[in-house]
Amino acid sequence: MSVTTNVAEKLLTLPESSAVALQIRAEHYFDVIRGILDNFAVKKELDSIYITSTIPSQSIVNALQVLEIDMSNIYFVDCISQIMMSMASKHEHTIYVESPTMLENLMLKVEYLIKRTEGKNDIIILDSINSLAIHNNTKILSEFLHLLVNNLRAKKAYTVIFSMEEYRSEDISNMLNIVVDETIVAAGE
Amino acid sequence: MAPKVDLSTSTRERCVTGIQGLDNALDGGIPRGNTILVTGSCGTGKTTLSLEFLVHGALDGETCLFISVTEASSKLLTNIIPYDFFEESLIKKGKLIFVDMPVVYERLGLNKLEFSLEEVDVLVRAVADIVKEMDVKRLVIDSITSVCYRLRTQEKIRDFILKIGATLSSLGCTSVLVSEISPAEERYSLFGVEEAIADGIIFMGNLERRGDLLRTLQVVKMRGTQHSRTKYVLDLTSAGVLLVPLLKGGSVAGG
Ligand SMILES: Nc1ncnc2c1ncn2[C@@H]1O[C@H](COP(=O)(O)OP(=O)(O)OP(=O)(O)O)[C@@H](O)[C@H]1O
Ligand SMILES: [Mg+2]
Repeated sequence: MSVTTNVAEKLLTLPESSAVALQIRAEHYFDVIRGILDNFAVKKELDSIYITSTIPSQSIVNALQVLEIDMSNIYFVDCISQIMMSMASKHEHTIYVESPTMLENLMLKVEYLIKRTEGKNDIIILDSINSLAIHNNTKILSEFLHLLVNNLRAKKAYTVIFSMEEYRSEDISNMLNIVVDETIVAAGE
Repeated sequence: MAPKVDLSTSTRERCVTGIQGLDNALDGGIPRGNTILVTGSCGTGKTTLSLEFLVHGALDGETCLFISVTEASSKLLTNIIPYDFFEESLIKKGKLIFVDMPVVYERLGLNKLEFSLEEVDVLVRAVADIVKEMDVKRLVIDSITSVCYRLRTQEKIRDFILKIGATLSSLGCTSVLVSEISPAEERYSLFGVEEAIADGIIFMGNLERRGDLLRTLQVVKMRGTQHSRTKYVLDLTSAGVLLVPLLKGGSVAGG
């Protein structure tokens, strides 16, 4: 089974309002994104809200376009483009947050998108815990995760938090273990 | 179904602001009939918040009145965020009414730069008459600070706010007085008396945290209800004012 199908299948076994940590190897990055946005979210008819603090949303948009993935139900909260000064073209489904340290604003934008896309259930993808950890200390990040996941649970949304294998640390594992219901390792079989 | 256990400490009827995060912080809303201060430095969202409070009331069928002191209301309307939930018909149906204070002054012949005690009474009565006549349930005066400039003395300001508060409350009208302060201010109102008399204070500000500027809101006092005293971070959006608690992250100085 490919990584893409494998991730989608594993997510499909979860009840709604689940929060999961998804362990990803860099080489599988786009396979995983495809498995979530194209397979899983489409099957479950979810609106997807993709929070990126790793690479500019435009790079993901470009990749999705190459993969011919329908983007009408996909929204982005981009908190990295502004500090990387790479805001050349603005996608209509993207909201920008000035910096990945503005965690409250990140939450507010997610809340806003959930309000705007009322009617359907949502999946929120946080890409990634590792890049947020570069910009924030553990204490504030833990507090953020706790608040975000509980808010999303109350809204019956799925939360998927990316955790990059290459940057694993004890701090990050501990932080995730407190808030998630399950950890999924993205791999082919 | 089992009877609900009610742990709330107050039985006062609420005026639901319709701003979800604020209603949560206020344990259901502003106690009906309260006269509260929405205070903060310029650009912190006082007008936006107050206006949204009125729009929700109007959508709920209550008559809502916005008395504009500083800005012509026609100009104000062109500047407000295009809310998803706003309906033009609210204005046509007279549910959402805008009055310009300078017009009221003119009608009352109050053209002096400083009002006397008698003139304060005339002004309070004029506002009360509008509220009574139109059965207004929610009122915003934006800003009370501009009115206070015309009163000058603490004594007259106290008199004005006490009288207008009592009158509006007796009419069952929940009122928001917008108050302007400078960012460095150590208190919640320019003249100091406003904050002591008001039934509630909602403080809006900016908070700098390691170079990021966050918009914040805090309920400092609210008579008639228990309320959160947490600082919230807010966003002014087309879906209205959204709030999340300020993350503390164990940090101290500078937020
Ligand atoms: N149409 C809009 N869309 C998005 N944001 C807006 C819009 N209009 C205003 N804002 C934001 O709201 C802020 C001002 O809000 P508001 O006028 O409510 O503040 P205020 O506290 O009443 O200010 P003042 O003291 O100047 O009266 C602006 O600085 C701007 O960031
Ligand atoms: Mg204003």
